[in-house]
Amino acid sequence: MRIPTIFTPALQKRYHTVGRVLALAGGLLFAASAYLPWAYSGDALDDMSYLGGPSTLQFLGMFLGLILAFCAAMGWIEPWADARKLFPPLLRISKRAGWTRGAKATGIGVLVYIGIVLIAITLELGGLVTVEWGGWVALVAALAGFVGSRLLTAGRQPSLERARTAPWVDIVAIALVLLAGLMLAAYALNQVDGGTFVVILAFAGVLTAFLLRSGIGGWLSAVSRRHRTVLVFSAFAVAFLFPFTQNGSDANMSIATQVLIFAATAVGLNIVVGLAGLLDLGYIAFLGAGAFTAATMSQSAFATIGWKPPFIVVMLIAGLVSATLGLIIGSPTLRVSGDYLAIVTLAFGEIFRITMSNLDGSDGPDLVHGSSGIPAIPNLNLFGFDFGAVHVVAGIPLGRFSNYFFLMLLIMAVIVLVFTRLNHSRIGRGWVAIREDEKAAEAMGVNVFGLKLLAFAGGAFLAGLAGAVKAHVDQSVTPDQYIFLESAFLLAAVVLGGMGTVMGVVLGAALLKLVPEKLRFVNEYRMLLFGLLMVIMMRVRPEGMIPNQRRVLEFHADDEDLVDEIEEDLPYEFAEEGS
Amino acid sequence: MTFFLDQLLNGLSLGALYALIAVGYTVVYGIIQLINFAHGEIFMIGAFGALSTWIVLSWVTGGSTAWWNLPLMLVGGMLVAVLTAVVMERFAYRPLRNAPRLAPLITAIGISIFLQEFVRLFYGRIPGFPDAKSAIPFPQIEFFTGDAVNVGGLLIHRGNFFVVGALGVCWAFLWWFVNKTGTGRAMQAVSQDPDTSRLMGIDVDRIIVIAFAVGAALAAVAGLASGLRYGNIDFKMGFLAGLKAFTAAVLGGIGNINGAVVGGLTLGVVEAMATSFIPGQFGGPAWKDVWAFVLLILILVFRPQGLVGAKVVDRA
Repeated sequence: MRIPTIFTPALQKRYHTVGRVLALAGGLLFAASAYLPWAYSGDALDDMSYLGGPSTLQFLGMFLGLILAFCAAMGWIEPWADARKLFPPLLRISKRAGWTRGAKATGIGVLVYIGIVLIAITLELGGLVTVEWGGWVALVAALAGFVGSRLLTAGRQPSLERARTAPWVDIVAIALVLLAGLMLAAYALNQVDGGTFVVILAFAGVLTAFLLRSGIGGWLSAVSRRHRTVLVFSAFAVAFLFPFTQNGSDANMSIATQVLIFAATAVGLNIVVGLAGLLDLGYIAFLGAGAFTAATMSQSAFATIGWKPPFIVVMLIAGLVSATLGLIIGSPTLRVSGDYLAIVTLAFGEIFRITMSNLDGSDGPDLVHGSSGIPAIPNLNLFGFDFGAVHVVAGIPLGRFSNYFFLMLLIMAVIVLVFTRLNHSRIGRGWVAIREDEKAAEAMGVNVFGLKLLAFAGGAFLAGLAGAVKAHVDQSVTPDQYIFLESAFLLAAVVLGGMGTVMGVVLGAALLKLVPEKLRFVNEYRMLLFGLLMVIMMRVRPEGMIPNQRRVLEFHADDEDLVDEIEEDLPYEFAEEGS
Repeated sequence: MTFFLDQLLNGLSLGALYALIAVGYTVVYGIIQLINFAHGEIFMIGAFGALSTWIVLSWVTGGSTAWWNLPLMLVGGMLVAVLTAVVMERFAYRPLRNAPRLAPLITAIGISIFLQEFVRLFYGRIPGFPDAKSAIPFPQIEFFTGDAVNVGGLLIHRGNFFVVGALGVCWAFLWWFVNKTGTGRAMQAVSQDPDTSRLMGIDVDRIIVIAFAVGAALAAVAGLASGLRYGNIDFKMGFLAGLKAFTAAVLGGIGNINGAVVGGLTLGVVEAMATSFIPGQFGGPAWKDVWAFVLLILILVFRPQGLVGAKVVDRA
């Protein structure tokens, strides 16, 4: 399926000046249209009905319009400044950026943005008449910007990632990006309106597309490689600050805690699938094993084991039980690989679930009360800190879910630490070697079986830890929380986010959990959409949203330009990791 | 003794159902080494296709359950199943033919979820069709349903005649198709060496589509049989049946059509026997799936080439 080229290179050559004018004008007009009323009444999205008072979403649109105009204008500003030798250091950096490519991406982006806004207004207020004249102006401006940017000749390949910038610039950039991310996330989460949430997602998507196409994304990823520790620490700092942006509301914190549990499990799965390349379709069983272990040893009146050790011990036991299961499930890897392994793990997952629902006293020993599970699991109480109570810090009340959020954040930190250290160690390299060519790895002296077992056991241990907390967060554990679909979900998080990277997986997990929570109208169709998304993703971008560089190579081995491009980068990455 | 024979027959008819689905896994795997994970969903869609045909017919006939409904339902189910399978192959699998092994497997899971949800959400929206969010009763066609038949002291469920008969007919047809027709021999050639087959003038893409279509047609037969046997169908029926059928295919030796039939029958009998003859708490219907999966794991680990044996392929 190839999209026919309307804007041929010949056309672009003839009309690129017209295109630049159109793109610049379209961008500026789009930005200006934010001051016009877009909707007939204030009930649609956030209030867009005022003349001269842009709403937040209109401000976001204005931002996109300005980016488009700026990118288009850079085609004139750059040679003009070059001729007069103005600001040579800035100019040097600017010459590495792909402004035209950025303009093209933003050109599509503004059109998509206004399209979604108009559709949302139409749906929420009922009918196209509810779109005010300002909305049509914005649409025309976006169309002009789109056509204009399409008419520009393909610009240079950005090489910003090789720009040398001062460390303080790097760190300020990281801080700004994370802060913007926090603000956007906090704002998006506080929206009750599904349409607004979609529009914000669209904004984030367009912004990301612009950053990637213009090369700024490449620069940011180079910066984050240079200052990985700073990035990780500030990311955790931002996550730590998140509960304080909620004004004591626990609704979003409940979602955020679930996201963290899901993400922690997905990172564990990422060790098995992303690093070692072993497809595990029964991974949810490990989370379940952890949760059931913790539940049976909890203070719940329905717990079946009389021994009630402190939670730290329970958590370790839960992790160990999961790891033992991981060893058992991993042991066939000595003889089975590839698709067959996937089926073996799937069968193990099903066996786990059926066994748990059979341990009800009539079909087996009464360990977990069968399909009704273990309810009424009390809140944790660690070192006198009651997780069920509301604590007031700096005047902001932090509720039950906030407490668990902090606990999960701590566990997440440990998991990320373990993951990255393993990834950069001899063990991690062994895993990657097994993934890429098992026979060659074995010939090179990699302990293939041992490392595979370690991947299974290690990943399962992490999932077990998360499961122990999940039992207390959910307050009840039942077998039907651990069905195959949940395993498929976890896999989807890893695949969509990007195999082999922590950032990608966390992003994937967050999206998979957040979108259905926020979009009630999507909820009914979410499984349908996820199925479709998995199929499309495998076709369009099999390496995921934030892929591991080596992984990209594996999926696009026949694309020679890309191979050259990445191989140029790789030694740099190796040098970074080795130092 | 009668109880044992009852269970044996029960197991054989269950196994015939598995075998019909397993052939679909095996034919596709034999040719492109792809585990078509969504094949269980094709089985489900075949059952829904057969049901839809009956519903449409009933608008004219006023709900007749005469025997002549059966061939029409079969054709209807097959058409829908084959169409779904061919579209799936064309748009989801073909673009990934040279991708790493992980990609088609994940795609297959995606398709599987998609098809299930599609049926669940949209089947009931067609005017005149029942809501598919819970199980739908399947029409009781005369002769193949009703009181069990007493044959020499053995009670045989009437639906079982259909399953076993269908398996016999399909097996004979497959044997003829694969060994006696040009297309069948082309399939064998492609499964041995696709590149050389292409040089010999075989349209490999066409052969792959035919493999998917044959598998889907047999899955539709199984879907209809399953509806007759259990009396109702639902959108989730494909997952477990597909997994069991895959077990059957592996049990017999994946890639080998006779193996799929032998494996299916064996699995059915093992399941029936495990349900009836494992003593104590771990017997009974609650654990039968566990025993089937345990069998699957043991076979995969200790005899991956299966009972009948298949071409040895590198499954990395």
